[in-house]
Amino acid sequence: MSRYYLPLFLMMGMLIGLQNSVPAQMPNDAIYMNKNTICVMAAYGQNSWDEYWENTLKRENLNIGTNTTQMYMVMVAAGITDKLNLLAGLPYVQTKNSAGNLLGQKGLQDLSATLKYKFFENHGLSLHGALGGSIPMSNYIPDFLPMSIGIGSTTLTGRIIANYKHHSGIYITLHGGYTGRNNINIDRDTYQAYDRVYNTSEVAIPNTADGGINLGYLKNGIQATLFMEKFDCIGGDAIRRNDMPFPTNNMVSNNVGAFLKYQPSHFGINGRIAYVTSGQNVGQALSFMAGILYQFSIKGESVGVSN
Amino acid sequence: MKKNHTILHSILIAGFLILSCNKEIQDSSAVAYLPSNLDNNAGTWKPYILANTSEVAVADPKPVSDPEYLKELDSLKNFIAPRVSPENKAAIKYWGAGAVYRWNEIARELAAKYNLPPASNAEGKYPAPDAANPLADPKFPFANPPYTARALAYLCVAQYDALITAWNYKFKFNRKAPYKNDLSIQPLLPPTDLPSYPSEAAVVAAASYTVLIAMFPGEVPYLDSKLAECKNASVWAAMNTPSDISAGDALGKAVAAKVMTKAKTDGMAAANNQTLTTGMIEAAKGRGIQNPWLSQEAPLRPPMLPNYGAVLTWNFDKAALVSMRPPIPYVVGSPEFEKDLNELSYIQKNQTREQARIANFWSDGIGTPTPPAHWHRIAANAGIDSKFSEVRMARTLALLGTTEMDAGVACWDTKFYYYTPRPQQFGLKTSIGLPNFPSYTSGHATFSSAAATILGYLFPDQATEFIRLANEINESRIFGLIHYRIDCEMGFEHGKKIGIHAIARGKTDGSGQ
Repeated sequence: MSRYYLPLFLMMGMLIGLQNSVPAQMPNDAIYMNKNTICVMAAYGQNSWDEYWENTLKRENLNIGTNTTQMYMVMVAAGITDKLNLLAGLPYVQTKNSAGNLLGQKGLQDLSATLKYKFFENHGLSLHGALGGSIPMSNYIPDFLPMSIGIGSTTLTGRIIANYKHHSGIYITLHGGYTGRNNINIDRDTYQAYDRVYNTSEVAIPNTADGGINLGYLKNGIQATLFMEKFDCIGGDAIRRNDMPFPTNNMVSNNVGAFLKYQPSHFGINGRIAYVTSGQNVGQALSFMAGILYQFSIKGESVGVSN
Repeated sequence: MKKNHTILHSILIAGFLILSCNKEIQDSSAVAYLPSNLDNNAGTWKPYILANTSEVAVADPKPVSDPEYLKELDSLKNFIAPRVSPENKAAIKYWGAGAVYRWNEIARELAAKYNLPPASNAEGKYPAPDAANPLADPKFPFANPPYTARALAYLCVAQYDALITAWNYKFKFNRKAPYKNDLSIQPLLPPTDLPSYPSEAAVVAAASYTVLIAMFPGEVPYLDSKLAECKNASVWAAMNTPSDISAGDALGKAVAAKVMTKAKTDGMAAANNQTLTTGMIEAAKGRGIQNPWLSQEAPLRPPMLPNYGAVLTWNFDKAALVSMRPPIPYVVGSPEFEKDLNELSYIQKNQTREQARIANFWSDGIGTPTPPAHWHRIAANAGIDSKFSEVRMARTLALLGTTEMDAGVACWDTKFYYYTPRPQQFGLKTSIGLPNFPSYTSGHATFSSAAATILGYLFPDQATEFIRLANEINESRIFGLIHYRIDCEMGFEHGKKIGIHAIARGKTDGSGQ
């Protein structure tokens, strides 16, 4: 019996599923809300897998079938200045398997917030920094993987983003981030990890690093992006043969995907799809998200985004 | 703009604090102590396997005036003491908590490491672990609760029989500790009046090693290193001379070899005899069970050790096992069954976080040291808190270990006698994972009630607390949705009877308790 992937969800939830889909912009792009402009998004996202990597061994699990995570999210992006934006999001998550008897879990997951700042811009070339964090918003069970809705860690992410935008609307973005993840406490006071037994309820969660490239077009309210991303844990252990996954696992994944947005006026829509092409200790997830956006100005300034 | 920089600055500092925080996990760890009582008469206590504490001979030690012994003392003082490294000191500190305590901990750690069910292969079969090829997939053993209960029982019995034999010889020969024979030797652990020949640490190390390499044959290199470290630590700490150690090593190995001779013929070899299940199901149907247990895994997994109920018990015989066997539970369709099932359905819909926590805390499922090992941990820590001597710690864990194996055997006998269905056969899910064997009675309930009963006798001032824990464990299986209430209640009653048999043994073992 193996469960698995919620760590992936949390990690990718934080790093892909949620942040990438923040309306109009993300922590890893170079797009900004104008000063005093706010964009609110309501979105539904889902990801599912029926195969996963048990360490490096790709396998199915007939006692899981297809593992599905559903997310209902509210997100906000706000222009504090034209160069400083605040992004925040909060998902409600529920999980289920199509086979076996593991009880699905549900609840409010982690509140995330990021400040993104444009340091430099010249002739379409720009450099940005983002600092964000996340904190669990409910006392969910972090180690009942893959059914858990998250791994319960408080995180802090630092990120740098480099962007070049051509006046035609075509742009390219490179980004890289590092996420510190705090130790967590589980319900048990003993557990096995890193090939030994710990007699405590405290569990060390590996930090993560991620990086990626976006290639896209942004003009006249239309954004279309293709992306590739890589996520790595810094350390961590492997799912043992036929074992359950655990929050300490070294989750690695490589992803490709596309993001589309259309925002002709105050209202807009966006959609995102991503697929894990390879990984370790993660599910080979196909995920999608669709959202409705509403953008408004709080001081009568012009509504819009800049890139 | 300036304000924005201030905000960013604050966040960067906060970020630095989080990223730089220490991830290191602080385990609780026992330390050395002076026993409240040396139990000088333990050489007269009753063994489990040996006929008496003189059955295995120990050679006479050299007199303390003998040049060979004086040379050993000189070596401790002038060769070893100046060369004790920080790593050696860490080993001394670790083993200072007691060899019985540490070897029990090592065994529990190995149980957790090997507590993984075999994966199914391409043909949809589950290959059996192979003791001759322990590190192949699937690894041998699958250290499930019955396996681990038994492994720990033999470990504890070997330690106990070896230690009471050691106590016999210690007080017969009465060779004092090195630092009492040469006052200029400084021990690195609390000094004791206990005679040092044969070394109790070496006795326990060798006995434990002999049992554990048989139970976990893939761990020989690891166990070799632990054996060497345990023995060396006693010399580095100047608690023993090499001749104390070698005598203890020989004694421990000789006693454990006799213990393992019994282990090889206790019926465990036939515990996984899957050909018996057809007959078991028919017999259960004949007893009125119309919906027998069926594996809920895909592909269907053969039940865990269906014939473990035929393995030899320690503290009672087969007739007693049969006479204690709980009566038939509520059958499917009866109002009582419906009531128990409805309770589970309600919890599935309304499980509180506290119920989930209790279910998780006591789950002791895949990848954990198992429920009997959880009780070993509780008992070993209670022994440390009570400052038990090494030999009383061994008696405590042998009484518990044999009780837990008896509980496992008697519970498995019951499970496969009635072969009752799990709640998951009626649509329930689980928040902790479903064991792959029949439902009635609960293994957790039986293990826990038996453990709480014997531990209540061994630690009378904590008896109420142990019963409280056992009751919480009972509820945990209901909260986790894998047992009907009747499974837990009847398992609890059963476990109590099993524990009472162990108390009877404890009262007549010569320890005076």
